[in-house]
Amino acid sequence: MKIVTANRLSDGRVIYAGVDNQPVERIDQASVLDEATAEIVLAEVVGRPDVFVNPYAVEVEGHTPSGRDRLKEHIRSAGPTVGHSVAGGVG
Amino acid sequence: MYRYDEFDHALVRERVEEFSDQVARRASGALTEDEFKPLRLMNGVYLQLHAYMLRVAIPYGTFNSRQMRRLGHIARTYDKGYGHFTTRTNIQYNWPALTDLPAMLRDLAQVEMHAIQTSGNCIRNTTTDVFAGAADDEIEDPRPWCEIIRQWSTIHPEFSFLPRKFKIAVIGAEKDRAAIRTHDVGLQIVKGEDGGTAFRVFVGGGQGRLPHIAQEIASAVPAADLLAYLTAILRAWNLLGRRDNIHKARIKILVASVGLEAFREEVDKHYATLRHEDLRIPEDEAARIQAYFAPPAFETLPKTSGPFDRALLADPDFARFARNNVRRHRQAGYASVVVSLKPVGGVPGDITADQMDAVADLAERYSFDELRAAYEQNLVLPHVKLDEVPALWRALHDVGLATANADLATDVIACPGLDYCSLANARSIPVAQALSKRLADMDYQERLGPVRINMSGCINACGHHHVGHIGVLGVDRKGEEYYQITVGGSPDEQAALGDIVGKSLPADEVAPAIQRTLDRYLQIRADGERFIDTVRRVGPDPFRDAIYETLDATA
Repeated sequence: MKIVTANRLSDGRVIYAGVDNQPVERIDQASVLDEATAEIVLAEVVGRPDVFVNPYAVEVEGHTPSGRDRLKEHIRSAGPTVGHSVAGGVG
Repeated sequence: MYRYDEFDHALVRERVEEFSDQVARRASGALTEDEFKPLRLMNGVYLQLHAYMLRVAIPYGTFNSRQMRRLGHIARTYDKGYGHFTTRTNIQYNWPALTDLPAMLRDLAQVEMHAIQTSGNCIRNTTTDVFAGAADDEIEDPRPWCEIIRQWSTIHPEFSFLPRKFKIAVIGAEKDRAAIRTHDVGLQIVKGEDGGTAFRVFVGGGQGRLPHIAQEIASAVPAADLLAYLTAILRAWNLLGRRDNIHKARIKILVASVGLEAFREEVDKHYATLRHEDLRIPEDEAARIQAYFAPPAFETLPKTSGPFDRALLADPDFARFARNNVRRHRQAGYASVVVSLKPVGGVPGDITADQMDAVADLAERYSFDELRAAYEQNLVLPHVKLDEVPALWRALHDVGLATANADLATDVIACPGLDYCSLANARSIPVAQALSKRLADMDYQERLGPVRINMSGCINACGHHHVGHIGVLGVDRKGEEYYQITVGGSPDEQAALGDIVGKSLPADEVAPAIQRTLDRYLQIRADGERFIDTVRRVGPDPFRDAIYETLDATA
C-alpha cells in the first residue's frame, strides 16, 4: 500500500494527501492507497503545485513507512531524532 | 574587519529585492518549483526533509557582535530558536518558511550579511585560518586576500554557472588550520623571490564521492597577480570541465584526468594573457583592503598574566579549559579562545539564540568586538587579554559554552545527516552524540590528546570524513544505517585521505569501535606521539584489528 507525500509550498513542512486529497500534516491522517489509486492521487496533487511541492508515493504498512526509504520517511513524519528541534523552541 | 561600501550595500539590497520578488512569484504559483529552484539556490535556500533551509554566509568566518546578535534574532523570530554552524563557516537555519525568507534577508542586509553564493554552482564562501590575524606563526593575515577574492567572485558573470561548486581556502602560515588541500583551490601565503607577498597554489582537492588531495600547481604567484591566476584556473576548468555528469564535474576530476602538468599548461596559457590585463591588484587597493584588517588597539602587556596564572592554580576546571581551548597569540598578554559547540551529547555546531546573544556580548566585552567561525563547527574569540580569560571562561560556563574539548576526541565534526538533509543516507548526529557521551571523561580525552573525528551522513562528505584522523561515513544497506570507518586521514599540511578499514558497522557499534581504536593507540603510542603520528608510523592494521575484534557479524 502507499501514501502520497510532499513538502508544503508555503513553509516546506511535510504533508500527506488525506481525505479528498486535502493536505494533512500527520502521517496517520494520510490516505492509505493501493498502487493504482496512489498513481491517481499522485497525478491529482502534482496538479496542485500551490500546495504540494515534489510529491511522490511512499510504501507503507498501515501508516508506517516500509520501503527502502523507511527510515527517511519515518524521520520526515516524526521530525529529527535529535537536537533542538526535538526539544521544541519558538517554532 | 571589512565594512561594506556603497557598492556592497547596493548589491545586497538589490539582490534582496530581486529574490523577494522571486519568492512572491513562487508563493503565488507564478513560478514552478523547477523554475524557482535555481533561483533559490543562488540565494542559499534549500528544500530539505522537513522545511526550507537558509544558509547564511559568514565571509572567511569573521563577524562581529552586532551580526551575531542579528543571527540570534533571526533564529528566535523565524526559526526554532537555534542555528547550526557548518564546515564552510556559514550558519544554517533549518526551519524558515518560504514567505519569511525576504524578511530574514532584509534583516541580514542591515548588518552587512547575506546568503549569496552559499549554494549553487558558483564560487562559495572563501574560508581561512580561524586564528588569522592572531596566530603567532603567521607570515601575513590572509583575510584581506579572502576579502579581495570575495569581491572578485561575487556575482562574477563568467563564474556564475560553473560545472559545479568551487571552494577556495587561504592560509597565512605554514601550519594549515583551514584544510586548504581539500579545496578546489588552496592558497598559502609565502614570500616571493622579491620578498613580497606571493601565493603557493594547490589545485584539484576535494572530498565527496571521489576524494582528492590538492596538488601544488604554482609555488609563488605574486600577490598582484592572484586574481589573474585564479581566473586562469577557473577559466581552464570552465572550458574543459565536464558538465555531462554531476559526479565528474568538479575540478579535481579534470586535474586527475588530464594530469597536473597538462592542466598547468592550460592555466599558464590563460595566465600569460590575463596577468597583463586589468586583473592586476593595484598596491593601493590591496593596502586599502588590508587597512580594514589592521590589528585592534592591543595594549602593551607582559607575556604572563597574574590573574590567569592564579586561576590556573585555583581552579582545575579552568586549568583544563586553558590547556585545551586557549591558543597562543602573536601579541604578548593576549590569547585566542575556542568556544566549543560540542557539549557532551549535543548537536555538533548547534547554538541557541540566547547563546548567540551571550557570545556576542562576550566578544564585545573581551575580544575587540570580533568573532570567528571555525570550520570545525566551533567559534573563536580571537583577541582576549590573558588577564580576562578567567572571567570569560566563567561567563561561557554560565551559558553552557565552556566545554574544554577543542581538538579532542569529542570535538567531532558532523554534518546534519538524515535528521535534516534530503541527500543523506544515514544519520550523523546521533552517532556523534553517542560517541560524545561514551568519551565524555575529560581525563581520558586529555590522555588521548588531539584527535580529529569527522562524520558524514552520505558520500558528499559535508562532515569531512575523508580527512578525519578517524572518519565515519553513513551508508544505506537495504534501508538500514551502516557506517564505514576510515583511519589516517588528515586535513592539515600533511593532508591525507583515510584508509577504509573494512566492512561497515551498525550504528550502535560505531562508538565502541572508535573507543577501541583510541585505546589501541594508548597501548602502542611512542612517547610524544599524537594519534595521527602513531597511525602514520604503524599504518591502519592495529586499528583495524581493534575495530573488528569483538564483531562477528557486519554488513
